[in-house]
Amino acid sequence: MTTGSSRELPVCTCPLVDSATGAEATVVAIACADRDACRLRVMGVYEGATVSVIDKKHCLLVDVRGTRLALGAELAEGITVLTRGIPAS
Amino acid sequence: MAVGTPGSAPASGALRVAIIGNPNTGKTTLFNALTGLRQRVGNFAGVTVERVEGGFQMPDGRRITVVDLPGAYSLAATSPDERIALDVLRGHDGREPRPDVVLVVVDATHLGRNLFLASQVCELGLPVVVALNQVDAAAARGITVDVPALIHELGVPIVPTVASRGEGLDPLRRALVAAATLPAPTPRFALDESAETTAARYGWITDVIARTVRQRASASGSASDRIDAIALHRLGGPILFLVVMALVFQAVFSWATPVQDAIESGVLGVGHAIGQLVPEGDLRSLVVDGVFAGVGSVLVFLPQIALLFAFISVLEQSGYMARAAFLMDRLMRRVGLNGKSFIPMLSGYACAVPGIMATRTIEDPKDRLATILVVPLMSCSARLPVYTLLIGAFVPAMPLLPGLDLQGATMLAMYLLGTVAALGVAALFRRTLLRGPVRPMILELPPYRWPSPRSIAIIVWQRSVLFLRRAGTVILALSIVLWALATFPRTPVAPDAPPAVAQETQLANSALGRFGRAIEPAVAPLGYDWKIGVSILASFAAREVFVSTMGTIYGVGDAGESALADALRAERRPDGTAAYTPLIAVSLMVFYVFALMCMSTIAVTVREAGGGRIGWRWAAIQFAYMLALAYGAAWLVLVVGRAMGLG
Ligand SMILES: Nc1nc2c(ncn2[C@@H]2O[C@H](COP(=O)(O)OP(=O)(O)OP(=O)(O)O)[C@@H](O)[C@H]2O)c(=O)[nH]1
Ligand SMILES: [Mg+2]
Repeated sequence: MTTGSSRELPVCTCPLVDSATGAEATVVAIACADRDACRLRVMGVYEGATVSVIDKKHCLLVDVRGTRLALGAELAEGITVLTRGIPAS
Repeated sequence: MAVGTPGSAPASGALRVAIIGNPNTGKTTLFNALTGLRQRVGNFAGVTVERVEGGFQMPDGRRITVVDLPGAYSLAATSPDERIALDVLRGHDGREPRPDVVLVVVDATHLGRNLFLASQVCELGLPVVVALNQVDAAAARGITVDVPALIHELGVPIVPTVASRGEGLDPLRRALVAAATLPAPTPRFALDESAETTAARYGWITDVIARTVRQRASASGSASDRIDAIALHRLGGPILFLVVMALVFQAVFSWATPVQDAIESGVLGVGHAIGQLVPEGDLRSLVVDGVFAGVGSVLVFLPQIALLFAFISVLEQSGYMARAAFLMDRLMRRVGLNGKSFIPMLSGYACAVPGIMATRTIEDPKDRLATILVVPLMSCSARLPVYTLLIGAFVPAMPLLPGLDLQGATMLAMYLLGTVAALGVAALFRRTLLRGPVRPMILELPPYRWPSPRSIAIIVWQRSVLFLRRAGTVILALSIVLWALATFPRTPVAPDAPPAVAQETQLANSALGRFGRAIEPAVAPLGYDWKIGVSILASFAAREVFVSTMGTIYGVGDAGESALADALRAERRPDGTAAYTPLIAVSLMVFYVFALMCMSTIAVTVREAGGGRIGWRWAAIQFAYMLALAYGAAWLVLVVGRAMGLG
């Protein structure tokens, strides 16, 4: 699913759960239940937002514009991001 | 159903200001600073869940009414607490017109997120003033906001404030009065919250931030992140949580004892002294055995209650509440809820009423109802006197671990038992009456903060006053009634009978004694005598009444004047064996872990579960399952304990 071209740091899309810890990621799509998607957007996780995963546990700890959000894993499954740093397989 | 403090009709000419903003930005801190009131403040989202009204006066004598509201992330309310805030803003509250001015509180450290709601509110057609709060915390993180530039971008007055230190209040007051005459700002975007509009609004905010906010690059991760590396650790986190809880309960038990002993001897001494002033007879018995033995036996638990609230207040203000919710999310999901439901449950350790109120932050109605139904299983401060009396009387202070002895561990066990049962019952409801998919958690973790000694002192003071007021009203009244029932009618006793026997005969033949023996069959399977039976029944008015009733019964029945715990240990059955064994004490505590004996909890459940018939139905279910659980578990403890040869 490689969409970028930089050879050293491939850019790819993946679910937020799979993005590397510490790497910045840009949200490209949110496919969750409507009310969850709405909530995520107004809390700063909207299509186009820059987020980064701080830690992965049973839920994800995410940095969104300086705030720390805990997101249930199934939400993080539904958020597709564009990120650098995962080697294309 | 109406919520919150009933607002008085606005005096003509009073300016009405509504405070709105994201959760945890400092709205209530600012409200308290403006009005001089002392509403609850805490470092997590969802502290305020109802509208609260206050006011202040301008130097020119003009009155300003201020309404503090729950936090909201946007104008599309998804939870009951957000709905309360937005109804006031839109004038849908039904009781009052729209506010004259909206005071939007934004957190300068999270301006990017906060400007979303702020910009939406600016487009509602109401005059707006923005308080740029927490500029101290922003400065500490190297964030500087160009306020004139931000005023230019937003088109509304903006006043930098530090609510926690009362800075910026005068300019803010002047801005509020002046804003009432300003035209409302012009809308930039549609007010819907579709993906497109949201992205467009955030795009605009990103540009505004780029033009107005400068952030010094920070070298390393924040202190909060470093603490979280431990506090949220897969293994370390839960261990830390348990250790914190164990220490709290041990401390509540042992730190309070010296003060408790002092109060105890003080009460006994004063009772005795007053007794000397009153001539021998019924009046003296009423004062000494009724009032002092009853109310006094509850009063001695004030230090424990104060300490418990101090600890809970530290948890609330430090930011740990949200971390506890995060840690518990894993377990809560198995139950069918998510971690967010654990915050109301934790508040239930203080008192079930605010705990049930706090469920207003839960979006899903079934999740919310399930949480309401189990919050009263969390041991609240009213159980503390019962636990402490029984543990103090029957559990030895045998050291177990450094900093923890058997008494503290027993206390911890009672709290854990309630918590585990709450999870189990929630699971049951989520699989039967309240079936539904598990909702994923979205939770903001606030930065850690040092709790302020002043706000801890305020909470401890408020709760102590409340406790004393209960002792002086409900408990006093019941003590007098029970004293009368335990004293009359009088039975003639042989003049040569020893005083102890004479008093025991008197008590057994009094109205209370007869009534007690009539209901004794109901509690006999649990191994309790009629004295416990009567005390349990009386404590349906309030749990502490168990202690005061035992105090009164032993005050009337006891020839000597000893502390209640000693009297309990010394009580004998007719055959000479101890009436109360450690096993019965444990079984009794277990009964109190589970039984719902609190009028206020029932009332708030009725209201929060939907009011009217529906509310009553849920309250009845709650009461019934808790009673069944209490009786069943207390019986089980007795049977298993006896089978193991204990007592
Ligand atoms: N550093 C700093 N902390 C503040 C300031 N104002 C409030 N706080 C802290 O921020 C936290 C939240 O304060 P609250 O007043 O309860 O916030 P709220 O907006 O009413 O929160 P909700 O009722 O949950 O929506 C508390 O820990 C306060 O002590 C401030 O100006 N500076
Ligand atoms: Mg508040």
